[in-house]
Amino acid sequence: MTPAAELRDVSVTFPGGVGALAGVSLALPAGAVTGLVGESGSGKTTLCRVLMGLQAPTAGTVLFGGEPLPVLLARGRLAFRRQAQMLLQDAAGSLSPRMTLRRLLAEPAAIQGLPRAEAWARTEALMRRLGLSADLLDKYPHQVSGGQARRVAVARALVLRPALLVADEPTAGLDVSVQGELLNLLLDLQAELSLTLLVCSHNLPVIRRITAGTVVMYLGEVVEHGPTAALFAVPAHPYTAALLSTRPGAPGRITLRGEAPSPVHPPSGCRFHTRCPQAQPRCMGERPELRDVAGREVRCHYPLVGDAAP
Amino acid sequence: MTALLRITGLHLDARTARGTAHILRGIDLDIARGRIVGVVGESGSGKSTLALALLRLLPGNVTRLQGQATMDGTDLLALPDAAMDAWRGSRIAMIFQDPATALNPLFTIGTHLRDVLRRRQPGLSRAELRTQAEAALRRVEIADPAARLRAYPHELSGGMRQRVMIAMALLARPALLLADEPTTALDATVEAGIIGLFRGLRADLGGSILFISHDLALVADLCDDIAVLYGGLVVETGPAPAVTAAPAHPYTAALLACAIEDGGTGRLPSIPGDVPDPVTEPPGCIFAPRCPRVEARCRAEPQPLRPVSPGRAAACWKAA
Repeated sequence: MTPAAELRDVSVTFPGGVGALAGVSLALPAGAVTGLVGESGSGKTTLCRVLMGLQAPTAGTVLFGGEPLPVLLARGRLAFRRQAQMLLQDAAGSLSPRMTLRRLLAEPAAIQGLPRAEAWARTEALMRRLGLSADLLDKYPHQVSGGQARRVAVARALVLRPALLVADEPTAGLDVSVQGELLNLLLDLQAELSLTLLVCSHNLPVIRRITAGTVVMYLGEVVEHGPTAALFAVPAHPYTAALLSTRPGAPGRITLRGEAPSPVHPPSGCRFHTRCPQAQPRCMGERPELRDVAGREVRCHYPLVGDAAP
Repeated sequence: MTALLRITGLHLDARTARGTAHILRGIDLDIARGRIVGVVGESGSGKSTLALALLRLLPGNVTRLQGQATMDGTDLLALPDAAMDAWRGSRIAMIFQDPATALNPLFTIGTHLRDVLRRRQPGLSRAELRTQAEAALRRVEIADPAARLRAYPHELSGGMRQRVMIAMALLARPALLLADEPTTALDATVEAGIIGLFRGLRADLGGSILFISHDLALVADLCDDIAVLYGGLVVETGPAPAVTAAPAHPYTAALLACAIEDGGTGRLPSIPGDVPDPVTEPPGCIFAPRCPRVEARCRAEPQPLRPVSPGRAAACWKAA
């Protein structure tokens, strides 16, 4: 099956030499939930922006439904926006403070020039699903709770029935008592609409629970990509192992030396070698390729699983 | 066990556009000597305001600050301003959530550390100041301390800046250290290092630590005691392992149930409803509108914190 979206050897270098993405290859299976994890500066946000057509890659190819993204964008940005939507991290901040929820909810269809009555019927159906009552419609974003603002953002993203939804930290800033409800709603709608969903998050328990596949990024590279259950059970990349060991209750915490180096001057060889507990002389000089190891893709000379495992 | 700090009946109201907001609704809390006490709560529970009230660093719209916070026989809330000034940064210190804004961008790390030392021990020579500052950076595991003393805050990463904040706290040797979400702004692998540091340095810090966090799992992992805040009230207190193993208050139980377990399946847990609106004054239990075990009595009578077993208390008449 054609992946919903695919990156082939995509790099993004910003002026000043900041290499936000360095040769990222990634295919998002259609209709599945994929998680994207990595720390600040790992390139998660840039990757999302590339997928959304908001950031042109400096090198490499982006395919959307098998077609090159630049071709789709040239055909019409509005039409592409109907296919791919993004849920921004600061949901409340992404809603204009000067518009009521009613106007905010009607805005996507208005921009797309869709028939108003039909679009509003769809919006109302989504509101019912999301537990947003009609008496909220005349309120402004600052008058509703963070959880409600986030549900409004979900309704705005899904009213156009996109094929792909990228959710950047969908639970960041939400209290734990309400994050479960929001994720349940998001997953219900994902299943009903056969959405391809990419979830970027720091929250590893959330990623483990809701995704089928997980992509781990470090300093602009994909270091591991595989089925979530296997990856969490036995990580193959030493960085994945260290990151996963930070979960509360995880056995055997691995403390890394220092912090991620600057993406302006990434380390030679394997970008993780400066902090890797397993680093060997080869890792300093030779950049590992992303290769198939034990049913997943791993960028490491000495993966923790597979034939060469220590 | 004698308490270092005893907070009783702490009320704080603030004026807002929608009316008077009741941010703290009568906090009762003991901070035992030499213990790390975790204050857990969701947004709006009043946990940050509690720390700021203890330091009396409050915004101008506060209309009521009532109750006692007694430390070594002194009520912090009744201290004259000048005396409070002398307590801040010496007997009580605070580590803020965002180390980027807590350090002055115009001064080097060395200046920050030396200022703390001078305040604590006036008359130290320049050489002694440098030696002690370097030693403090080494204790928080900052490599090449001599060079770091000459660095400005913007030249350090977030994790390093938070380590500098901890080094400043070490030099101040406060009897009470308030840490407000000190790892929330940091990445997971960096957070793990900082938490390890707190654990390793508790002996060096000497005093008690009030560790504020929204993360119950983190608090359970690090702290000796837990106080669970909800809507400006302490709803449960006790030793961390006991509280997390067998919560006495329905809110604590619901919060623990919201943790996403490894290997779990099916619907994700949540607590239905919203946190209490600070401008309302419910007649009964603050958690009643969301409580799965609510009865008529809960909505009618306020639920004060009461002992449920040795060292533990809960604000629920059903708690045993």
